[in-house]
Amino acid sequence: MKEFLSNKYVVVTLRVLLGLIFIYSSIGKLFNQADFAKAILRYDFLPIYFVNLLAIVLPWLEFIVGLLLIAGIYKKASAFLAGASLVMFLIALISAAVRGLDISCGCFSLEESSSKGDIIFRIIQDFFMLAAVIIVYKFGDDKKEEAPEISTGITN
Amino acid sequence: MAKIYKQILIIIAVSIVLGLTANAINPYGVKIILDKNIYALDTAKQKKTLNDFVNDPYDTTSNKNHNNVLKGQMNREGFIEPENITVELAKNVFDRNALFIDARTKEEFDSLHVKGAINLPYEEFRNKPYYQKIETMKKYNKDGLIVVYCNGDKCEVSIDLAYEIAKLGFTSVNIYRGGIKEWSSKGFPTEP
Repeated sequence: MKEFLSNKYVVVTLRVLLGLIFIYSSIGKLFNQADFAKAILRYDFLPIYFVNLLAIVLPWLEFIVGLLLIAGIYKKASAFLAGASLVMFLIALISAAVRGLDISCGCFSLEESSSKGDIIFRIIQDFFMLAAVIIVYKFGDDKKEEAPEISTGITN
Repeated sequence: MAKIYKQILIIIAVSIVLGLTANAINPYGVKIILDKNIYALDTAKQKKTLNDFVNDPYDTTSNKNHNNVLKGQMNREGFIEPENITVELAKNVFDRNALFIDARTKEEFDSLHVKGAINLPYEEFRNKPYYQKIETMKKYNKDGLIVVYCNGDKCEVSIDLAYEIAKLGFTSVNIYRGGIKEWSSKGFPTEP
């Protein structure tokens, strides 16, 4: 199992897939801060002062992380941020499910119709993505290849 | 390991810069810090609404020349945002013939609703094309005081419906979040 997961092609495939999902989920929100802020508000989760800031920054963070994951630049850092945001989404989703909030997820499209089944489905989806992120983080670090990449990234 | 932290900080910093830029150039962008009163209660605004004259909700004579004079109160999307009201204020405007709109489904509406309220199930209303939304609402006064409610507790359809109606050019849309539960528990008039 470990050999399979650390297989270069498996890791690269997972990484690119994750990148595509992150870009796909961010693209509708990059210039639609108002609707995304409303989606966040519905979770009734964050202090109200942070809602807009999150709606402004998060889609771009997702977008950049997605690009980096696909390009294979800053692999560990982008995988870490992908994982951190997935954990954040999970906490928000689970808390919404536990409180019985009947809200649309706001995960991908901002016009999804609402249903509780949707939230549960997203939670399961998030767990799978988190597993993929962990694999990418753990096995994606091909030291022989990555060393020069990092040094160029920083000197530039 | 230190390299990773540095890279993480770089990614976050770039995201913040790009996000703020995108928001600044977007004509429909948002304020960076959300006003606390968009959904929360604002007593100053409530007092103003409380003393306002409640127009006859069915008097549409002014609708023809209606050109949203209250531009100062409009948000960047060009409509006047609905406001939250308490049960006391809801009862007060109820007594002065405000239009109550029930955002729940027809079944829920039929079992119990605020006396005289009309039913506009949000899910149905949302999916209507724009001209049908106008058609549905044109029999009501655009400056009339409207109160939208649903079940109470955590139901969201009253907020969503209130925004839909406000976007059609209605200038005094209010959300009563206590909903039918609080209303009936206070013993205020209901039907059937």
